[in-house]
Amino acid sequence: MLAKLMKYEFKSTARLFIPLYAVLLVFALLNRFLNPFRTFEAAENFSLQVFVRGAGMAIYFFLILAVFVTTLVLIIQRFYKNLLGDEGYLMFTLPVKTWQHIANKLLTSIIWCILSALVVAVSLFVLTASSELIRLLPYIIEGIKNTFGIAGFFVLPALALSQLASGILMIYNAMALGQLFQKHRLLASFGMYCVLYLIQQMIYVICMLLLANTAFMTLIRSASLTPLGMNLFLGSLAIGGLIIAAAHFALVNYVLNTKLNLE
Amino acid sequence: MGWELKTDRPIYAQLIEQIELRICAGIYPPGSRIPSVRDLAQEASVNPNTMQRALAKLEEDGLLYSHRTSGRFVTEDTEMIRKTRNKLAKEQVQVFLKKMKDLGFEYGEILSIISDLAEEMME
Amino acid sequence: MNKLLECKNLSKYFGPVRALDNVTLTIGSGRIVGLLGPNASGKSTFMKICNDLLTPSSGEIRIAGFEPGVESKKIVSYLPERNYLNDWMKVSDIISFFDDFYADFNKEKAYDMLNKLNIQAEDRLKTLSKGTKEKVQLILVMSRDAQLYLLDEPIGGVDPAARDYILETIIRNYNENATVIISTHLISDIEKVLDDVIFIKEGQIVLHKTVDEIREETGKSVDSLFREVFRC
Repeated sequence: MLAKLMKYEFKSTARLFIPLYAVLLVFALLNRFLNPFRTFEAAENFSLQVFVRGAGMAIYFFLILAVFVTTLVLIIQRFYKNLLGDEGYLMFTLPVKTWQHIANKLLTSIIWCILSALVVAVSLFVLTASSELIRLLPYIIEGIKNTFGIAGFFVLPALALSQLASGILMIYNAMALGQLFQKHRLLASFGMYCVLYLIQQMIYVICMLLLANTAFMTLIRSASLTPLGMNLFLGSLAIGGLIIAAAHFALVNYVLNTKLNLE
Repeated sequence: MGWELKTDRPIYAQLIEQIELRICAGIYPPGSRIPSVRDLAQEASVNPNTMQRALAKLEEDGLLYSHRTSGRFVTEDTEMIRKTRNKLAKEQVQVFLKKMKDLGFEYGEILSIISDLAEEMME
Repeated sequence: MNKLLECKNLSKYFGPVRALDNVTLTIGSGRIVGLLGPNASGKSTFMKICNDLLTPSSGEIRIAGFEPGVESKKIVSYLPERNYLNDWMKVSDIISFFDDFYADFNKEKAYDMLNKLNIQAEDRLKTLSKGTKEKVQLILVMSRDAQLYLLDEPIGGVDPAARDYILETIIRNYNENATVIISTHLISDIEKVLDDVIFIKEGQIVLHKTVDEIREETGKSVDSLFREVFRC
């Protein structure tokens, strides 16, 4: 059932993302041929050419912004409208468990976040004569290896994923709690987000204080600038993120299971 | 013939009357197959269970009989149909007589009104 | 009488408001039941609880033996009193959607009903009128071979011709193993179609009888009895 849910989730989101991605890549390509960087250097005074190229770049950066904003807006909107709005009457009467609905939204959101980041990266390659950036790539990889060791290639993505998941789930949680209110649900959701954020920060601080004088922190501190120290520190952040994500997931699931209150 | 159902009497009793009427009027001739419960219910826009109940009662009375596979049929017993027809006629006349009595007519007056009217309609 | 739907002391409070108050009820298979009451009497709350869209404050509810959940959702077909269609879909998309998720969905039946109503499968839901959307939803709901149909105000917002069509659809799709519960306050229109009526007032069941029982005992139509019971 999760696979079926995801199939429809992708169908309903892809129709917005795919054209946006396509437009971004086309503009990157366009700007590359207009080659704005060199024009700026060569141009001695203002001309229509410079203006066109400047505008091309402005649109390109605007599109990058649009990709990120769309990603965020869709994370919120797909959950709020599809599950907590009128469409919730359809979704929650499907023979599907609530956790599958949440997992569906979470997984598709994560995938779109990654895709958005990738597409923006690819567009940068396209924009700047790609060979230069590709030549830089081995240096970046080397840099990661030196600072984090081989383990960094696992720890860094794990950290990114856990932060992404807990971030998205916190947004879901805020909306799930917001719908408990009879009125002003969007405002309540925003308020709930602030409250959850505060609580999360407090938990972080408490964890830091609790761990401060333990052998674990001493180990990290003693190895602070070595790959081991880095990985231990980031790894524990990743695990912390996962625990928080799991807690958010459990709470969203509980609220939607027992306190669902569609308008 | 449309299905006329009043709102203040049990629907199933009215359905029985209406089907009896159709049989007596020859709309459903003796020995013919009548439509299915579902079709009849849809035609009369009533609940199929109610229609089913009415048909079962008519079967019990012997006016209909059902064949395990091929459906429900009107009885071939014309004598029974004739009796039903008389019964319906009597009921109509009773209603009529009661109304006339309420209007203050005597039996003799009623008869003469009927024969006068009948003559007029014959002409 | 078998027990398709069974409630025991079912209550739902919204803060101090008792939307459902100690409802005990048994409904068997093969019935067409009218859930009748004025606005805000608890009809929609009851239907939402049956569909697991609300959790009861206290009491029990079982549908074919299941608590509301995945198992009950497989056999319950629900028409809510609002439009739940994704606007971007085509009619054919939403039919595939139902076909994918409900094992008891009958695609041919759905297309057949669309044809009869002259609704094009390739039309986008966004472009359909409000009334047509309601018809599409009804088609989706009635194209399932469910055991329990819960129709919340199916005739509320449509014109008399569409109303007749809806009632006809309900009669045509009726089968002995399924029960249809229709909530409405437009009684005279559907009275002839019902087996049983349930009057609900301020969250409580005040009457549960067959239509013919009511007519036999009171010599009144359900409609006029309703007007008496709920006189303001």
